[in-house]
Amino acid sequence: MKILIADDSRVMRQIVTRTLRQAGFGDHDLVEAADGQETVDKANSEKPDLIISDWNMPELTGIEVLRKLRAAGNDVKFGFVTSECTPEMQQAAEAAGSAFFIVKPFTAERFDEVFSPILG
Amino acid sequence: MSAEILVGEDDLAEMVEQVWVSYLDPEGINPLVLNGDAKQLSEVHSTVSITGSWHGHLVFASTRDAAKKAAAAFLAMEPDEVSQDDLSDVLGELANIVGGNVKAMLPAGCYLSLPTVVLAPDTASYYPTAERITGLYGVWDGEPVSISMWQSVKQEAKA
Repeated sequence: MKILIADDSRVMRQIVTRTLRQAGFGDHDLVEAADGQETVDKANSEKPDLIISDWNMPELTGIEVLRKLRAAGNDVKFGFVTSECTPEMQQAAEAAGSAFFIVKPFTAERFDEVFSPILG
Repeated sequence: MSAEILVGEDDLAEMVEQVWVSYLDPEGINPLVLNGDAKQLSEVHSTVSITGSWHGHLVFASTRDAAKKAAAAFLAMEPDEVSQDDLSDVLGELANIVGGNVKAMLPAGCYLSLPTVVLAPDTASYYPTAERITGLYGVWDGEPVSISMWQSVKQEAKA
C-alpha cells in the first residue's frame, strides 16, 4: 500500500514514519507532503491508498484538503493526526469522510489500533 | 471566564507529561522535574497563539541544549547531529502539541496558529496585551525547560 504523510513539520512526518514502523507497518510505500496544497497534488499524482494528515497546515488545512478531494470524487482513505482535538473538529472530520482521528502525542499502540483494520 | 479555571497548572502538567512519555522520555527515566523557578535560564522558545472564544499564547522555552536533546529524542539521533532546522522544527512541534491539547480544553470556537520559533530567550518576545496565567518550570536532564500560558488582558476586561 502507498501511504501519504501530510504534515508541515518535517519532524512530525519523521515521527509518523517511525511510529508506523514501530507499529509494524514499515513495509508500506511512504510518500510525504509538507502543506495542504502539496497533499492535494500528491493525492492526485501519487494515488496513495491512505492519507495521514495534520489538521493545521499552510496553504490548505487538512479538512480543506479532505473536502477538496471528496468534492473531486477522490475516495482515498483519509484521516487526521493532529494535536488539536475538539468535538466540533471530530464532527467536521467525520462529516467530510475522515476514517480516523489520532491525537498528538500518540504511541505505536495507538497507531496499531487505528491502522491494523486499514492496513492489515 | 478565566482560563485559570479552564486550564490550570495540573492540566498543563498532564499534557506535558504525555509529551514526555510519548517522545522525550518513553522509558520513564528522565522526566521533567518541576521546580517552579519562573526566572530560570531560557535560550530558545516557541509560541502558538490561540484566538476565538479565548485569546492567548502557549510558550515553550528552554536552553539550547535542552532543545537539542528534545530534537535528538524526537528524531532518534545524537544531540551533536541536530541541525538548526531540526531544532526549530522540534521547538515548533512542542508548542504545537501542547497548544493543541490546551485548545481542546477551551470553549468551542478557538483557532490555533502555526508555531513561531525564536532562537533567543523568551524575554525576546513580548505579548503586549497578555499576562501569564500559569506555567510549568523545571529541569529536564539537567537543563531548564518551561511551558507557560498567557492570556489576553483585553479578554479579561470584556468578560
